Amino acid sequence: MHFEHIAKSLRPSRRALLAGLPAALGAALVSRPARAAGDALVVVTSFPEELTTRYEAEFEKAHPDLHVQFVWKQSRDALALLSQPDQGGVDVCWAPSLSNFPILRDSGAFRPLAVDRAALPGRLGAQPISDPKGMFEAYDLAGYGIVYDPAALAALGAAVPKRWSDLAAPALAGRIAMPLAGKVGFSPALYDIILQAEGWERGWALLCEIAGGAQLSGSGPGPTGAVKEGRAALGLTIDFLALGAQANGAGVGFAYPERTAFLPGHIAVTAATRRPEAARAFVDFALSTKGQKLLMEADSSRHPARPDAYAGKAVRIVDPFALPEGSFFSYDAEIGRRRPGLISVLFDLSIAERHAETVAFWRALHAAEARLAAAPAAGGAAIVAEARKLAGFVPVSAAEASEPTLLDRFSGRDVKDPDLAGRWRAEIGAARAEATRLLASLDARL
Amino acid sequence: MRLLLAAAALILLTAGAPYETPQIDGEIFSRPLPGLDETLESAFRVGNSLFRRAWIIGPSAEPSELTGLGPLYNRLSCIACHVKNGRGPTPDAENGVARAMVLRLGVEGRDAEGGPLSHPIYGAQLNPEGIPGVPGEGRAILAFDAFATRLDDGEIVTMRRPRLSFRDLAYGPIGPETRMSLRNAPPVFGLGLLEAVPDDEIISHAAGPGGGRPNHVYDMAAGRIRLGRFGLKANQPTLRQQIAAAFAEDIGVASALFPEAGCAPAQLACRAAAGAGAELSPKQLGAVLDYVRGLAVPARRQTDDARVRRGATLFAALGCSSCHRETLRLGAVDFAPALSGAEIHPYTDLLLHDMGEGLADGRADFEAGPRDWRTPPLWGLGLAGRFATTGLLHDGRAATTAEAILWHGGEAEDAQGRFRALPRAEREALLAFLDSL
Repeated sequence: MHFEHIAKSLRPSRRALLAGLPAALGAALVSRPARAAGDALVVVTSFPEELTTRYEAEFEKAHPDLHVQFVWKQSRDALALLSQPDQGGVDVCWAPSLSNFPILRDSGAFRPLAVDRAALPGRLGAQPISDPKGMFEAYDLAGYGIVYDPAALAALGAAVPKRWSDLAAPALAGRIAMPLAGKVGFSPALYDIILQAEGWERGWALLCEIAGGAQLSGSGPGPTGAVKEGRAALGLTIDFLALGAQANGAGVGFAYPERTAFLPGHIAVTAATRRPEAARAFVDFALSTKGQKLLMEADSSRHPARPDAYAGKAVRIVDPFALPEGSFFSYDAEIGRRRPGLISVLFDLSIAERHAETVAFWRALHAAEARLAAAPAAGGAAIVAEARKLAGFVPVSAAEASEPTLLDRFSGRDVKDPDLAGRWRAEIGAARAEATRLLASLDARL
Repeated sequence: MRLLLAAAALILLTAGAPYETPQIDGEIFSRPLPGLDETLESAFRVGNSLFRRAWIIGPSAEPSELTGLGPLYNRLSCIACHVKNGRGPTPDAENGVARAMVLRLGVEGRDAEGGPLSHPIYGAQLNPEGIPGVPGEGRAILAFDAFATRLDDGEIVTMRRPRLSFRDLAYGPIGPETRMSLRNAPPVFGLGLLEAVPDDEIISHAAGPGGGRPNHVYDMAAGRIRLGRFGLKANQPTLRQQIAAAFAEDIGVASALFPEAGCAPAQLACRAAAGAGAELSPKQLGAVLDYVRGLAVPARRQTDDARVRRGATLFAALGCSSCHRETLRLGAVDFAPALSGAEIHPYTDLLLHDMGEGLADGRADFEAGPRDWRTPPLWGLGLAGRFATTGLLHDGRAATTAEAILWHGGEAEDAQGRFRALPRAEREALLAFLDSL
């Protein structure tokens, strides 16, 4: 039907139209639904629409008889939907969610996937990235690190950070952006990488010190945006946001610090799917070389889980499969997947809720350290060391932070146990107050 | 007269207007106007996030501010159609699914406000998707039939005539009596400036050589008929209403201006699934409004190029600038006071023009007839296809600027004829000028 033909045909007399409408309405009601609800291949995802639309278009070109419908769900909503008896009519689950896939696998929510391990190794170095039981497969890898403005760093006289601890340098204070753990989906994993890499207690102390010189952002692209727009010199972020900005012309760099990690997003076919062949076809496409290359397009700038997809990659994309041994550490995803809730709550209590206080404290402590370095005072170093320890105090031990019974009490991001959180808040407050008192006592000696 | 127009065109070749952004890269359509105050910059960032993020089906266990998708919708986010704040992509030739377009549907007659009557079964717009339990209405498939047209100097230009069909219609045939208008997503930058052009400035050009006429449409907030200036048929009076309408019709997100879910009476599953009340809060609508208002316009390029200068002269001499007016003057600009009273160069008169049968759709829209379209702004035209997609004209049928010109009929027939008659070098100069915008 030509569009031109439609236009010309749309001039019936008003009488003819009015006569025809009841018939049209009746026909539609009688026949409704002409197409059963749920004819589409339903893919639940939390990938951005710019990415999913590319897959929709390319997959439907290859399978013109299929219609892909993306249902966008955040992690907890996706888990609830896929845990229903009919799994909400979902055929494919496709998301960067470390915690959901193992939970759903263990509840029998997925069908086994057979993949060619020669093409899809399912491992990155020593780190498993796919399900050893074959119920879900790694689709992409996201690296965590630091977006920076080279000119701003030069103006500060600072080098590109090589380690997470470099971000605590007093020279960078006020020029760092970091995401709020309770609001930005990827940030609990980002902070957990630092906590695993540096050790739980040392890691929290480091996070508190970095936050003492940072602006906090409530959106995922926030840190990258702050660097792009000159409001910060560095930002902690997930790599594809910075690399995507780079691909679109932003003059930013991205650094993977020593002991960072690449974490996978996954894909799986639901057990309840009524279209297993179509679902499998979609998964096959997403994991094919062509499908994996779509990941690296400028606006996505993500890392394939399939090594052969890196052939011909853009310079900005690092091939994590080709990095030298030791470039990243083997993140413990089993612990990591259980504690985003705990990390979010502790981040709120120790950093977000008392951010102004944290900033003032670290500014004062760095000033005191500078004065001590210029003119050492008796006992000064010990006081500073104690103040630092107290300012970075975390009221949960490393052992507790790996304990499933505790972690289950914080399975979401909100505080489910206000009494416990209240106790932690008080303990952190007392430690900070003592740190502040110690600093004041040092001031009197200098 | 032509000399005067040519002189005016040359004056406009001065680059670096205060509402322009000069850095040409993938963010060219997404930068804020220079000099926004801090409050507005902050609102711009919030609006940017709302414009880009996917809306989700409610209720949600997550603390999300983007709950309320559907029950019927086209896409999950604004950015899915307004790619990088530019045009929507023309459908792939392989399967033709019109993903980033909307198909407006209606029947003859007017509603209580004087607007088009919605289709009794499918409503005002074909929504391909539905939330679980609500069947999507079906998909519009756009194909193109190639044909050739010969210019006066013998050059052949291949054109594309659109051909529309449907797949998976959930409520039966749409019917031959239906009035349809397939519309591509237009760019969204510079709209805040167009909003700041006083009504009088627009209406004053209606009596001019371009022969355009205003559309008068219903302002829902004011409860009265006003001048229309946004939308491909100038069918929206304000940017706020344009944005709220797009949320309601394209994403199924209700607001105070459009509190009803877009369910036609016969769509029982849709009605049963509809949420109660506004899903887009006034604060969120305000943030998206601030974002769109604050988007800067790409700066002109190659303005010193002799060929571009010659093209600018030809643009006026051929009569193009009668409707694509280079200059409009702003009134008060509340969100950027420094621009109050400034001249802008959008290359539009914001008026309706009869564009002939070749471009006609099937649907009247307030005072706009099927052959009428609002003159689209040309600023940023040369960057279409470089960072976002190309598809020009209301349905993306023109892959190049030359094709777009050659589709001009009706009031623009003479200008199109003069373009056809140009010697090749002159034609290329004109196209170089358009590419510099």
